[in-house]
Amino acid sequence: MKPRIGVFVCHCGLNIAASVDVSEVTKAIRDYPGVVYAQDYIYMCSDPGQALVRKAIREKNLTGLVMSNCSPSLHERTFRNLAASEGLNPYLVEVANIREYCSWPHQGDKETATKKALTIIKATIERVKRNQALIPLVVPLQKRVLILGGGVAGMQTALDIAEGGYPVTILEKEAYLGGHVRQLDRTFVTMDSAQDLAGEMIDRTLNQPNIEVLTTAEIGGISGYVGNFEVQIRQQVSWVDPERCNGCEACIAACPVEVPSTFDRGLVTKKAIDWTPGERPGEKRIFLDHQACVRVTRQESCTACQEACEKGAISYPEDRLIEQTYGAIVVATGHDLYQKSALTEYATDPDVLDALQFERLLSENGPTGGKVLRPSDGKEPKEVVFVQCAGSRDPDKHFPYCSKVCCMYTCKEARRYKEKVPDGQAYIFFIDVRATGKGYEEFVKESVQKERLLYLKGKVSKIARQGDKLLVLGGDTITGYQVEIEADLVVLAMATVPSPGAKDLARLLNVNTDAYGFIQEAHPKLAPVETLTAGIYLAGTSQAPKDIPHAIYQASGAASKILSLFSRKELIHEPLVAHVDTEICAGCGYCHDNCAYQAVEVNPIKKKAVVNEALCEGCGACATACPSGAIQVRNLDSKQVFDMISVVTQEYSLRP
Amino acid sequence: MSRNIETKALIIGGGVAGIQAALDIADGGYQVILVERTPSIGGHMVQLSEVFPTLDCPQCILTPKMVMCGQHPNIDIKAYCEIESVTGEVGNFTVKIRHKATYVDWDACTGCGQCEQKCPTKVPSEFDRWLDFGPRKAIYSPFAQAVPNKRVIDADHCLKLTKDKCGICAKVCPTQAIRYDQKDWFEEVKVGAIIVATGYELYKKENLTEYATDPDVIDGLEFERILCPSGPTAGVVKRPSDSKEPLDVVFVQCAGSRDPDKHLPYCSRVCCMYCCKMAMLYKHAVPDGQAYIFYIDVRTDGKGYEEFYQRGVEEDRIVYLRGKVSKIFRQGEKIVVFGMDTLTGKRVEVEADLVVLAMAMIPDPAGEKVRKILNLKTDDYGFITEAHAKLHPVETGIDGIFVAGTAQAPKDIPETVAQAGGAASKVLSLFSGYERGKASKAEELAG
Repeated sequence: MKPRIGVFVCHCGLNIAASVDVSEVTKAIRDYPGVVYAQDYIYMCSDPGQALVRKAIREKNLTGLVMSNCSPSLHERTFRNLAASEGLNPYLVEVANIREYCSWPHQGDKETATKKALTIIKATIERVKRNQALIPLVVPLQKRVLILGGGVAGMQTALDIAEGGYPVTILEKEAYLGGHVRQLDRTFVTMDSAQDLAGEMIDRTLNQPNIEVLTTAEIGGISGYVGNFEVQIRQQVSWVDPERCNGCEACIAACPVEVPSTFDRGLVTKKAIDWTPGERPGEKRIFLDHQACVRVTRQESCTACQEACEKGAISYPEDRLIEQTYGAIVVATGHDLYQKSALTEYATDPDVLDALQFERLLSENGPTGGKVLRPSDGKEPKEVVFVQCAGSRDPDKHFPYCSKVCCMYTCKEARRYKEKVPDGQAYIFFIDVRATGKGYEEFVKESVQKERLLYLKGKVSKIARQGDKLLVLGGDTITGYQVEIEADLVVLAMATVPSPGAKDLARLLNVNTDAYGFIQEAHPKLAPVETLTAGIYLAGTSQAPKDIPHAIYQASGAASKILSLFSRKELIHEPLVAHVDTEICAGCGYCHDNCAYQAVEVNPIKKKAVVNEALCEGCGACATACPSGAIQVRNLDSKQVFDMISVVTQEYSLRP
Repeated sequence: MSRNIETKALIIGGGVAGIQAALDIADGGYQVILVERTPSIGGHMVQLSEVFPTLDCPQCILTPKMVMCGQHPNIDIKAYCEIESVTGEVGNFTVKIRHKATYVDWDACTGCGQCEQKCPTKVPSEFDRWLDFGPRKAIYSPFAQAVPNKRVIDADHCLKLTKDKCGICAKVCPTQAIRYDQKDWFEEVKVGAIIVATGYELYKKENLTEYATDPDVIDGLEFERILCPSGPTAGVVKRPSDSKEPLDVVFVQCAGSRDPDKHLPYCSRVCCMYCCKMAMLYKHAVPDGQAYIFYIDVRTDGKGYEEFYQRGVEEDRIVYLRGKVSKIFRQGEKIVVFGMDTLTGKRVEVEADLVVLAMAMIPDPAGEKVRKILNLKTDDYGFITEAHAKLHPVETGIDGIFVAGTAQAPKDIPETVAQAGGAASKVLSLFSGYERGKASKAEELAG
């Protein structure tokens, strides 16, 4: 059958029309072989634009469409859906990208842009001529969700999905839920107890029958795809049996290993077996930290704690391995603080703390019982200097980005310090005061007025120990003077960075990260909780620094995508995948070696490549690697590619 | 007695928050009624030129979502409608909807626009922020990509309706869709949950008596329309007074915001970023122009925002001046802006051609009726109070009623989209809970 192709040229307002002579292009393409209809319009994606395309499909009996507009990532689906609703197979529609590839890079050069647009459209016409009508693949859907990280974001996503009726597993690498919120004293702007906030969520999580919580657990391996992720989970089984332990502490006394406490941010040390936060805030339990125990770190056969325990509560079972299939995964692995040792310009003095260390000093469940005492000598500090943007907004030496929460938590910490030490003075060095959330501006104003916080606009240049004091040198850019403060304690608002291991996890899950290791969302505005890997979603600070309210509603946003996904019976997968001509395939396996998605295997008996269509993303790496051309991507086979190349290179052709 | 449970949602407000929530719920398999008081969904986002920090045009990224809403089998858009009353409770609300008279039979209207072309009456366009550059007609559709693509007659300005003259639109309409005798009509619907997404407006610049009410002193949304390629100047930057290209443009941040003594104490959240963006777009359109921005703090705290601001300073040479503007007045051709630069401690005087005020965001006054009808708690400024600032940021104090977008507080588009998804997830959880309840009840009955 002779092709009857329709070409539709969009102005995209002025985005295309300013650089490309759209009417010229439309006129010229009408005579191209295979084209029976061509039309331009100001916004082809709008309702009237779409109506125009529909009408042409019906009246001109079109067998293929070349939509000449913006990138296919924006409107390919729009126009394919449109074609399908008019009875034209959607895979007979292709986009000729004359915006990102043409009008935008050639602004101001109408002649070049117009010529290039025409070339792109002609090449796409050649492709469409060989396109096949395809039918989407149907993939089963396992309606179970895995959430990586049990902080507030992870718990919120889990709660929303569980309340929607689906089973959820939360994997948490620590021994307790709640993440960094468990380490905080109060939360801005309400000054509520962070422990109460975490406690309320943890109670709801533990009481929700659809949620399974696996603490001290990590993901071991993953394969599969949206709807069917096969996940291996490794969980450390507690070496202390909580049923038998009576909390006598004999084991703690016997343990030979002393390490800095991670929960108290290294302010104090603890034994490898020691008290640790319990499931709920306010609770505690004795826990043997595998990462600290010499049985793990040095492969020694120490049994000191077991021998000391009268109750026989201690044994050393192997890790538990769990395999489970999940339909969707949420990355809620949270954040950490940039190491203060990275700021070589500031002293590594014991009285220079990072903000989370200071939270521990403020917290009633902290090492000082909530009394503000400085680490070096246990004295109450009377002059405290807070330094904002420590590592943030510093593109030359550290991170260019803003960490978003430091302005607010510094204000909160300073205010809390003043509540505890009313005769003390708090100084805050800042670049800008970024108090942008609901009630935030008012909170800062009120704190300044009530607690006489002294804000100094400028950067700190030096922090040096001088006897009992820490000398802080900085500039006040408003007065233009140098400022020198003799401080008792310095608190650095260290930049927010992704959790350690986030990059490795991203690689394992095959999702992108930005330059700093935050997980990249699919679209900053319109798909802020999706990743580019179908079935993997984002919540909380794993995506970017954010505060608790933002993390929580974003987490709910991720849940809504999964609830939508699970409302279907099964999944539909694009049929634009690789396929193998078994007549030609020699079973060399180059395709398998080049596949980023583990979608091609070579059958060892038949010595032929086999494509798992549900896994294949149609990237074409296999097709380029295949020495014989046996593996091809549907609707983008080598014939089509060469047809397109010969259009593009026509004016350089050697043929007469 | 068994209660009838509705698994249908009502969304009030068709901006990006309402659109996102509608799509999420509809994709989840439930019916949505999306009520919008203007003739088209899209909200303020479609008025914008380009959006930070990616500089996408909203036509490119929102229009597809609007079209998806229009075509979604689970979404019923009720445009040019308002909520009259709501009774009942979670799972069973009865909502009375007023269909405002459009004087056009929308079943017959094809959106061809011949009426609009021939209509002789020009009226300042709300969509183009009443700028002189781009009046609309008395029969109109607010913008080219409107969804639904239907026409409405403005009864206050139509010659036929005010003076019983003209009647041209009825003569030219190829489908005889014009109905001069149409009246408002009412409809009752039953829904199980409600999302309020009534959005924002800008604080009126007339409130700033310290600044002149000069035609060349405009607010952020007016400048968005002037910068927009599909706007009334087709993207050519002109100033309203004499249509000349402005070569010195002063942006004033915190115009009404962060001013507890005279105006509003809160921060409007988005102005720092949109001023930087508009200054950048202005520089791209007028490369030999100069942009000045007066600020208190530069609050660019989202993902990629700080980097965007740095780009504006380094690549587009935007001059940032830290301080408040004390006076703006006309001097011949120019508008003189007096301010302080608190960093140098010196007074600054800029002779500007155009001044753009980043007016504070306030809750859309039209949303007040909705807030009253639903009995929602608000803060002192009219923003809807969430059930808990941290734990329940999309719930209101009333079961089954949720909030999304700037109706709750000023926020930018990514936050709005994420939060709207959050509100949708609460509705999806609620409805699927009802369905499981129904299923188990049916099993019980079946024995």
